[in-house]
Amino acid sequence: MKKTEKKINIALAGNMNVGKSVIFNSLTGLHQHIGNWPGKTVERAEGTLHYKGYTIDVIDLPGIYSLSTFSIEELISREYIAIERPDVVINVVDAPVLERNLFFTLQLLEFGVPMIMALNQVDVARKKGIAIDYKKLQKLLGIPIIPTIAIRDVGVHKLLNEAIKIFRGKKKTKPLKIKYGKDIETRIEKIVKLFKKSGTKKFEIKYPLRYVAIKLLEGDKEIKKIVNDINPKIITVAEKYAKEIERIHGHPSATVIASQRYNIVNKIAGDVQLFTTSEKKFTEKLHNITTHKLWGYIIMFVLVLSMFFTVFSFGNFLSEYLTNIFANAGALFEETFGIGIVSKLIWSLVEGIIAGVVIVIPYILPFYFILGFLEDSGYLSRIAFLVDNIMHKIGLHGKAFIPLMLGYGCNVPACLGCRIMETQRERLIAIFVTTLVPCAAVTVIILGLVGKFLGIVWALALYVINLLIIFILGRILFKVLPGEPTGLIMEMHSYRMPHLKTVAKQTWFRVKEFIYIAFPLIVVSSFLIKLLEVANLLQPIGNMMIPITVDWLGLPVVAGIVLIFGIVRKELTLIMLATLAGTTNFALVLTPAQMIVFTLVTMFYIPCIATIAALIKDIGWKKAFYITIFEIAFAIAIGGIALRLLLLIL
Amino acid sequence: MSRPVPIVNLREGEKGVIVSIVGGLGVRQRLSDMGLTPGTEVTVIRFAPFGPIELSVRGSNLAIGRGIATKIFVEKE
Repeated sequence: MKKTEKKINIALAGNMNVGKSVIFNSLTGLHQHIGNWPGKTVERAEGTLHYKGYTIDVIDLPGIYSLSTFSIEELISREYIAIERPDVVINVVDAPVLERNLFFTLQLLEFGVPMIMALNQVDVARKKGIAIDYKKLQKLLGIPIIPTIAIRDVGVHKLLNEAIKIFRGKKKTKPLKIKYGKDIETRIEKIVKLFKKSGTKKFEIKYPLRYVAIKLLEGDKEIKKIVNDINPKIITVAEKYAKEIERIHGHPSATVIASQRYNIVNKIAGDVQLFTTSEKKFTEKLHNITTHKLWGYIIMFVLVLSMFFTVFSFGNFLSEYLTNIFANAGALFEETFGIGIVSKLIWSLVEGIIAGVVIVIPYILPFYFILGFLEDSGYLSRIAFLVDNIMHKIGLHGKAFIPLMLGYGCNVPACLGCRIMETQRERLIAIFVTTLVPCAAVTVIILGLVGKFLGIVWALALYVINLLIIFILGRILFKVLPGEPTGLIMEMHSYRMPHLKTVAKQTWFRVKEFIYIAFPLIVVSSFLIKLLEVANLLQPIGNMMIPITVDWLGLPVVAGIVLIFGIVRKELTLIMLATLAGTTNFALVLTPAQMIVFTLVTMFYIPCIATIAALIKDIGWKKAFYITIFEIAFAIAIGGIALRLLLLIL
Repeated sequence: MSRPVPIVNLREGEKGVIVSIVGGLGVRQRLSDMGLTPGTEVTVIRFAPFGPIELSVRGSNLAIGRGIATKIFVEKE
């Protein structure tokens, strides 16, 4: 990009949870484009703003702790900075945890990109009793530093001004040159010389040579791959050097280099931080009690249960209210357009939209909103801490609890949320168990059928059974899939006041996934099923299913048709059942055993069509297909077994 | 200074200096990225009954799974 153009590319880089996204949001407002990195299931957030005559493109790189290639996120960030060469990188640093954040800053400095630091949450640091002399830090690092309080918009515009200055070349920076121990430095220099001698041009590698040399000594696989194509000899030399370093220090060379980097950072942090006494703060007490051996679990149960209770009781009320309004609209539609085939088909489209609305607004939206608050405050990472060991039993770690929780709202964003898992294998296990979680629509059935007619104890029992089955199936999958489980390594941030805008945005993105993926599918398939009905094909299909529905599961014949509808929208099964049975008093048409069997089957029998779409998107056709087939077979099996057991006790 | 023990052998509130970390390259890399490098002082904050251990290191609090924690060897201070 030529500098005469008034277009600046800015990349935001930093650790997780440092307020990067808050800065991104406050810079770009609503002019954002959220997509995926090409070929990767990692979110790519870009936005544009106009400022002082410049068009500024901002990209929010994934939150990472290092520029090694441990995770896809780290690789993506590194390649973006190396290959796309943003004009300015804004390194967002969490002031309360300065030292650890500076570790990442050093790696960016080694990259040799034009840089600014946003020293964020300086207010929180101050409250924690840490004062940071940012001017001194600026001098030590040789890059401009702007103290910011992103959630209150403090300092955010200064970042832009500074970025423009750097872009126009008005500000010369002298970034700190990082020096390692002598034994390492001489080896870095030797490798760099080898590159120069062999005539390797910088553009062939895209990374600075010194950086490549360091990464070779660290044994970085991706860099090795690149170098291998150009000059495989250098790798052999580097490997020899790495061994030598390991022999001198008694630790692998990657560890030695990381240690030295941390030593540098430790010294810098020590020079600029001034510790004052801070009284034991409320957030600290909150942290202690919410991770307490006993109280932590009690609080977790009470909080989660009351959240469910609030969302679903309020949701039920709102949903009924909305349904009534739409029912009137339906009647009006029939009056105006008659009940011919065409009007029926058209209405089925409208109905599809209505169905989406009455599940999104009363249930999914409030559920994700409250969950977003818990997430932004930092509470979800405490839950992850508390349940880590249980999750290990199914080959996951504590963090998997988060997508699992999302699943109780809607499986679609939950499946996509499984991306927080580190490896493909764990992602697959997490996605699989997530599709077994009863979403809001299934909860409507559990509460509306079992809860209403058999009592809340039976409904709760179903949830417990569901959890047990998730656990058992998850464990089987964990044992069957090859590979080693990854352990939990997670930062637990200090609690903070949730930031309303961030929570609202997060909620919106999750709901948007539902709207974009689920809505169109719901509408189209509602239409298709209506088509079957109009063509009088539903009855024969229902009859074909008699061996399963009636003989094995002991359900009425209509159940077959109802279950087909459930593929589209599970909550619809209940409405359909009422229509086909001609009553909403299910006690008249179903025995208690039938109610339970029916609910069990709907709970497990298939991820709804929208979830299948999300599965295909994330894990491909084949695995999505296997999961679907398995869950159908499993639901039928468990339904039949449950029936026979229930007949013994009821 | 005593001989190195896995960090899970420490009691809540006790401090230690990391001597070595055993295990695969990936785990070691992740731990050192998070600031757990040899020579670093860590404080055990608490053990969760169901698994992980909470450590305070370089001013931040980390939750480390039990399996990984058994591979971090420290010298008790």
